[in-house]
Amino acid sequence: MANYKFAKEKLAKVLSGLSDFKVLAPALTGDVARFQEVTDPAQVTLDYGNSNVPPKELMFPETETLFKYRLGQDEVEASVPSPEEKRVIFGIRPCDAQAYSIVDNLFRWDFNDPYFLNRRESTALVGLACADPCANCFCPSVGGGPASEEYLDAVMFDLGDAVYLKTLTDKGEGVAEALSGVLEAAGGDEKKAADKQAKDALGKIQRSIDTAGIPEKLPSLYDHPFWEQFSDRCLGCGICTYLCPTCHCFDIQDESEAFDARRARMWDTCMFAEYSLHTSGHNPRPTRKERTRNRISHKYSYFPEKFDVIACVGCGRCINYCPVNIDILDILEKSKEAEAKEAKTA
Amino acid sequence: MVDSKKLQDKARETLVRDDVRRLIGWKRGTYGYEAAPTVIKDASDAEALIFDPTCVQNLASFLTLEEKLPVPRGAEPDTRKVAVMVKGCDSRAIVQHLLEKAYGRDDVIVLGIPCRGVIDRRKAEKLFGDVATPVEVKEEGDKLVLEIGGEVKTVDRKDILMDKCLRCRYPNPLVSDFLLDEEVEKFADDDFADVDEFEKQSPADKWAHWEEQFGKCIRCYSCRNVCPMCYCVECIVTKLRPQWTRRSTDISENTAYHIQRAWHLAGRCIECMECQRVCPVDIPIMTLNRKLTRDVKELFDYEPGVDTEAQPLLASYNPQDPEEYIM
Repeated sequence: MANYKFAKEKLAKVLSGLSDFKVLAPALTGDVARFQEVTDPAQVTLDYGNSNVPPKELMFPETETLFKYRLGQDEVEASVPSPEEKRVIFGIRPCDAQAYSIVDNLFRWDFNDPYFLNRRESTALVGLACADPCANCFCPSVGGGPASEEYLDAVMFDLGDAVYLKTLTDKGEGVAEALSGVLEAAGGDEKKAADKQAKDALGKIQRSIDTAGIPEKLPSLYDHPFWEQFSDRCLGCGICTYLCPTCHCFDIQDESEAFDARRARMWDTCMFAEYSLHTSGHNPRPTRKERTRNRISHKYSYFPEKFDVIACVGCGRCINYCPVNIDILDILEKSKEAEAKEAKTA
Repeated sequence: MVDSKKLQDKARETLVRDDVRRLIGWKRGTYGYEAAPTVIKDASDAEALIFDPTCVQNLASFLTLEEKLPVPRGAEPDTRKVAVMVKGCDSRAIVQHLLEKAYGRDDVIVLGIPCRGVIDRRKAEKLFGDVATPVEVKEEGDKLVLEIGGEVKTVDRKDILMDKCLRCRYPNPLVSDFLLDEEVEKFADDDFADVDEFEKQSPADKWAHWEEQFGKCIRCYSCRNVCPMCYCVECIVTKLRPQWTRRSTDISENTAYHIQRAWHLAGRCIECMECQRVCPVDIPIMTLNRKLTRDVKELFDYEPGVDTEAQPLLASYNPQDPEEYIM
């Protein structure tokens, strides 16, 4: 594939050059970074750590209409996104792109979910390598890296005055073609600078976890009291899961206004009591202990057992935003220290 | 500053009592500018307890957050006390809990901590960046000295404390069984200038503001769950049968959620600001709560969480209450 560059001051020109695409990019509202459809290139920022809300919402919106219907009538009108709609996510972090590849497993599992998969197919991922990873980033521990190219169609490196853009797939090359008047060819200098930045960024990662053995061990800690050290202070809110780029649970609800109705799905979280509440009133996860255990076990044990990949990309959001400092790395380290035997005596 | 040995000794002494079940305090966080709440059941774990300006969380919330499983037939419920450490502002939650009869005075042991303010993590990160190791903080007069990853930084208290601390009227606990330090002098006051400023806007501008803010909401309910006064057994917004608020997110449902919550807190919000602190998308929730706080004060001369002998505002009636809105 090919190497390009553009002057950073021409960012707005690059974005407007993508007029054939629906462009989704990070924008700031106050200090909050979040991906949105670009209507004004001036809103877009490449100067952000990790977006507060992950771009999973671009493939798997927080609330999504599945189909519409009229009460009392048999016809339904499906709201499946077209696989033909050309979209580009501009400036996605490598970890968030990796998360899509993990969630693919679920949405391709026993049924091909057209809502998620059509968007995946129609979307090119133009990544932005991290020059300054956040304090709680640990992507290299879970198969990623601040400049990981594996799950992207193209990758950008912010080199100060210029942005170096390297295409990695045909889809990425398609985006570069649309920008043929705006991009310039990049040479060895930019490549060298990008390689150095990637190496430096890796060195700036401060937190890590050796995941070896964790997926196998967690089930043996099912009844272990060590979970209580964390669940005792859990508020039971949805921050850790809603802001997780790989959490993918949803609820399905029918909603109506007079006779116009829709079936919609919306994010749900295993941290809420009503998530596992049965119609009978019984709740198999009656307290936050069982819910905390489920969140961690699902990411680091059940998901890898089923799909052979840990459902965590090390973006650090669940650590950064937890109001009570429930730190997934702390839990994982303590799970390694916990004696499985104790479980029986507890 | 509280002497940590004194604090840990008091915790141990409390935990070994036969009538005490657990103690809620703070320990050093795993990273950054905030401590972690911790629930201790064994006196040997008391050595982890700390108090310093990183201890931002209102631990009174954990008194009502605890989930209790049904007691098996024939077994007696555990009625032992819970001990909790509170700052001045947090203590107002306990006062309000008590007058709402959320629990009895004998059910809790309150370890009060006079406080000169806690750090706003957002302000700290703007000043000094995010940090992967836990930050330690000492008070030196009007300065705070932070040890951040081996480097020492000094900052004026007014530049780094939570907004609520900069207008703190109750630095000393209003209810406590033991004070862990000498009382401190009141160092700030509240003139509701922020509410005045907000109210200057036109209705259209105010609505544009809230439309943008509520539009960001992801309905993680962290503001509700962290709130010491949001302790309904079943919250109306998550009730499934019947369902009063939809689970879908849009400006209408999000607005309904935030307005319901603000009204349910009228005359009850004790201004600990936890809702706004925890919001992952920076919704300025306290603007709503403070508007209601001031209205309640002006209309009914009432302040929640300051007097255990008071009646809850909405359970009291005074023939002199203003009633302009009644036709």
